[in-house]
Amino acid sequence: MKILATIAALCLVGGTAATQQRERVFPFEYQTVRLDNGFTAYLIKAGAPGQIAYYSIVRTGSRDEVEEGKSGFAHFFEHMMFRGTEKYPNYDAITSAMGADRNGFTSSDMTVYYLVTASEYLEQLIDLEADRFQNLRYSEPDFRTEAGAVLGEKMQSIMSPFNYLYERLSELAFDKHTYRHTTIGFERDVRAMPEGYEYSKSFYRRFYRPENVVLVLVGDFDHAEAERLLRAHYGSWQPGYVTPDIPVEPPQQGERRETITYPGRTLPTLTLNYKAPAWSATDRSAVALEVLGDLAFGSTSPLYQQLVIDERIVQGLGGFFELQRDPALATVYAAVLEEANVPRVEQLIAETIAAAKTQLPDAQRLADTKRARRYGFLMGLETAGSVASATISFVVNTGGIEAIDDYYTTLEALTPEDIRDAARRYLMNEAKTVMTMMQATGGDQ
Amino acid sequence: MTRFMMVLAAAAWGSTATAQTDRLITLPEPESPFIAFNIWVQVGSQNDPEGKEGLASLTANLLSDGSTTTLDYQTILARLYPMAAGYGANVDKEMTVFTGRVHRDNLDEYYGLFRDALLHPAFREEDFNRVKTQTLAFLERSRRYSRDEELSKDVLFWAAYRGTRYQHPSEGYVESVRDITLDDVRAFYTKHYLRNGLVVAVGGGYPTGFPAKVRGEFDALPQGAVARVPAPEPAMPDGIKVIIVEKPADAAPISIGAPTPVLRGGPDYWAMVAAASWFGEHRNSFSRLYQVIREARGMNYGDYAYIEAFPRGYTTQQPPVNIARRSHLFEIWIRPISRTSPTDLHDRTLFATRAALREFNALVRNGMTADAVEATKRFLHNYSVKYGSTISRRLAYAVDDAFYRLPAPGYLASLRPGIGALDRQQVNAAIGRQLQTDNLWLVFVTSDAEGLKQKLLSGAPTPITYAGEKPASLLAEDIEIAAYPIPVDASDITIIPVDEIFERR
Repeated sequence: MKILATIAALCLVGGTAATQQRERVFPFEYQTVRLDNGFTAYLIKAGAPGQIAYYSIVRTGSRDEVEEGKSGFAHFFEHMMFRGTEKYPNYDAITSAMGADRNGFTSSDMTVYYLVTASEYLEQLIDLEADRFQNLRYSEPDFRTEAGAVLGEKMQSIMSPFNYLYERLSELAFDKHTYRHTTIGFERDVRAMPEGYEYSKSFYRRFYRPENVVLVLVGDFDHAEAERLLRAHYGSWQPGYVTPDIPVEPPQQGERRETITYPGRTLPTLTLNYKAPAWSATDRSAVALEVLGDLAFGSTSPLYQQLVIDERIVQGLGGFFELQRDPALATVYAAVLEEANVPRVEQLIAETIAAAKTQLPDAQRLADTKRARRYGFLMGLETAGSVASATISFVVNTGGIEAIDDYYTTLEALTPEDIRDAARRYLMNEAKTVMTMMQATGGDQ
Repeated sequence: MTRFMMVLAAAAWGSTATAQTDRLITLPEPESPFIAFNIWVQVGSQNDPEGKEGLASLTANLLSDGSTTTLDYQTILARLYPMAAGYGANVDKEMTVFTGRVHRDNLDEYYGLFRDALLHPAFREEDFNRVKTQTLAFLERSRRYSRDEELSKDVLFWAAYRGTRYQHPSEGYVESVRDITLDDVRAFYTKHYLRNGLVVAVGGGYPTGFPAKVRGEFDALPQGAVARVPAPEPAMPDGIKVIIVEKPADAAPISIGAPTPVLRGGPDYWAMVAAASWFGEHRNSFSRLYQVIREARGMNYGDYAYIEAFPRGYTTQQPPVNIARRSHLFEIWIRPISRTSPTDLHDRTLFATRAALREFNALVRNGMTADAVEATKRFLHNYSVKYGSTISRRLAYAVDDAFYRLPAPGYLASLRPGIGALDRQQVNAAIGRQLQTDNLWLVFVTSDAEGLKQKLLSGAPTPITYAGEKPASLLAEDIEIAAYPIPVDASDITIIPVDEIFERR
C-alpha cells in the first residue's frame, strides 16, 4: 500500500500543468529491461506487499487473422497456451499449486496472459512463462478437444444483443481490413477450428516471438534479481516475428445502411459509425476525437439530457470513440425505447454531429472531460493487477508504457478548436455506416 | 499480508440492543489515495410486499439514479463526471448496499452527493418513470434473451425457494414491477430506511474523524429498525425435479442444486469451502467438474460448483460480495453445451448433466482423497488473497462479516487458518453431513423442450462423439456416463416457455 501514496501528489501536478509541460500521470517508479532479441519488460513497483502481477502482452489479436476462414484463431490460440510444454506438461497443476489467479484474454489488437500471485514465486513464474512462450507443445487430439471449449465460449454469449449487432456491423463497415470480423470469430469458422492444427503451429511460429511480446511485471519484488532472471530465461528466445500483411481499408465512398433483426427480444438499437484514425498519443486530432465522443454523447451531454433524462425516449446513449491500433470505428449508440422514435433519434444525433463541426464545445465541459479521463486512469491504479491492466492499451498501441505520459500531455493541451476540427475531419457522412437492430416481434411492447 | 482492518463494531442483524455508535465499520488504510463507502441498509427483496415484488430494488435504484431535494439528476451526473466517480446500489434477498469509491482529492464534494442521494431523495416522477422503464426492459428482454446461463440460475433459485420470501428475483416480476407506483417507493423508503437499520462502512485513506461524521449525518434518519423477516425454510425437492425453459437456442446451459444448511461461521463452513473449491472452483481449471467436462471432453466453456449464491458469475472471477443470506443452495453451473450437429444437442446436454451428477455422486459417496485435500489447501492459500484485493472488496467483506456475526478478525483473515487447519477426515465428514444426491433441482434452457423431456423419460443412454481421437480409458468412462441414471417420471418435469418466465408470481 505504501507505494500507492504517490498517486495523490502527482495527480495534483497533472491537474495544473501548463500545456507545454510534459504531464507526469503515471505515478510509479519503473525500470525497463530490453534484450537483444527484442523482448521488453517493464518492472513496476506498485500494489500490495508480497504480491506480483505478471502480464505477458502479445501484440497480436484478431487483427492479425488475415487468412480467409481463420477468424477467431488468435483467441483459440490463447486457449492452447495453457496446454503445457515438454518441461512443464501440466501448466494448470503448477499454477494451481501457487494459488495463482491466472487467465488470458484476446481482443482485436492483443492477446494477454496474466498471473497474480505471491512474490515468492517470481523465479518459478519467469521460468514457467519463458518456457511456454518458447516451447509450447500440444497434440492434435488435445487441440481438437480445446476447439470444443472455444465453441462453448462462442455459444455462451451468442445471444448477447451487443455481440449480435457488433458481428454484423463489423462485416458491413469494413471491406478489407481484418476488423471486419470479431475476436471470437464467425460461428462457421469456430466450428471448423478442429481442422486447424497445422495452422495453429504456424501462428505460434510467426507471432509468439520476442519482438512482439512485452512483459509488464508489477508488484513487490527485487528488480535487479528479476532482471537477472529475465535475461537468463528470455535471452535465448529466437527472434523471427513475421509482420502480418493486414489489408489497408480503402476510404469509404458513400453511406452504408442496414437494419437487422435480433432473434429474441431487445430494445431497438441504433448505431452511427464513422471511420476513425489509428490511436496516437501525440496526434491532437486523434485524442480530440476520443474526447468528442464523451462531450457530444456522454452522460453529461445536452443530447443525453434531452433523450435519456427529459424526454426518456432513449434508455442508453453513448459515444464510443476510443481508438485502436489501426483505423477502426467511432460509434454513437442509442437504445431506443420505441421503434417509432428511431428516425427522430437518428436525426438528433446527426444534428449533434453537424453542430460539433461548426460550434466550439463549452470550455468547462472540455476541462471536466480532461479531468474525468485523468482521474479515470488514476482510479484504476489500485492493485498490482489493475496497474498492469492500465498499461495494456499503451503497450499494444506503441510497444511500451512511455506513451502514457505523452497521451495525457496531448489530452491536457487540447483546445475547443481541436475538438471541432476533429469532428470536421473524421465524422464524414460519406464514410458513415448506420446499423439498426430490431427485435423479430417488433420493437414496442 | 498486513491489513489495517479494524471493525469498530457491527450491528447484529435485527438486534435492538445495538448501541447507536456501534453501527459503524471502519477500515483505515491511511496511505491509500482512495476512500470507499459501503452503506448497508438492512432490507432486501424479502421485504417486498406481495404483488409488489421488485420494490426494494426499484427504491434503491431510484436513490442511486435519481435527483435529490437540492440537485437534479443531470447536475449530479455533471458533478460526479470530472471525478471519474459514481455510486450504485445492489439489492439482494436480505440486504441493500450503496457503494462508491473516490480519489481523496475529491472526497468532500463526492461524499456530499452520495450522502444526499440516500438521505434527501427527491422522488421525482420523471426519475421514477425512467428507472422503472429500465427495469421493465431488463425483465422483459435482457433477462429472458441475452444470457441463457444466467436465466437458468435465476430459475433454479426461484424453484428452490418457492413459497418462501426468497422466491422472487430481486428485480421482481414483469407484472409486479408494472404495478409499483411512486407512492409505493416513498412508503417503502419511509418504512425501511431507518437509523437503526443502517450500517455505515468507510475504508481507505480518509481523514481523521471522517467515519464518525458520516455516521452522525446518517443518524438524521428516523429512529427504528426493520422488522425481522423469518429465515426461509426451503423444502427439499422430493427426488429429481426438472424445469425446462423453452426458447430457440443452439446451446443449453444447465443448473443443478438443492438447499444446504451450510453458513459462514458454522462448524462445517471451511470444510465445505474446500470441497466446493476442489469440486468446482469458480471459473478455474482447478475445478474437478471443469477437468471432466471441459478439459478432457471439450464440451463447453466451464463447469463449477458453489455453496453460496454467485449471481452474474460470467462477469467476474472473484466471489461476489454483499450477497449475504441466511439460506444457500449447493449449486452446480454447467455453461452452455453446444450442439455439434443439427440433432445432437439433447444427447450432449444430457451427457454433460450425467457427467456432473456422476461426479457429484462420487464426491458425496467417496469424499475427497488426501491428495485432493492437500492440493486444495495449497491452492486456496494464495488464491484466496485476491478475494480482498481492493479496498471496496475488503469493506464489503467486513459488512458481510457483520451480517453473519462473524467474530474478529472476520472472513478474509480467517480463511487461510480455517482452510489450513483442515484434514481429510473433517472435509469428508462435512461433505457427508451437508450434501446429498437424491433430491435435486435440474434446470435446462433449451429448444425443443418436449424432445428433451422424452429423452429424459426414456432413460436411454445419450452418448457423444468427438472431433479427435480419445484415449480408451476415457471412452470406457463415457459409456458409464452416457447411461448414468437420472430417475424421473413425467410428473417431475415442467416445461415453461421463455416469455412466461418471471412474468408474474
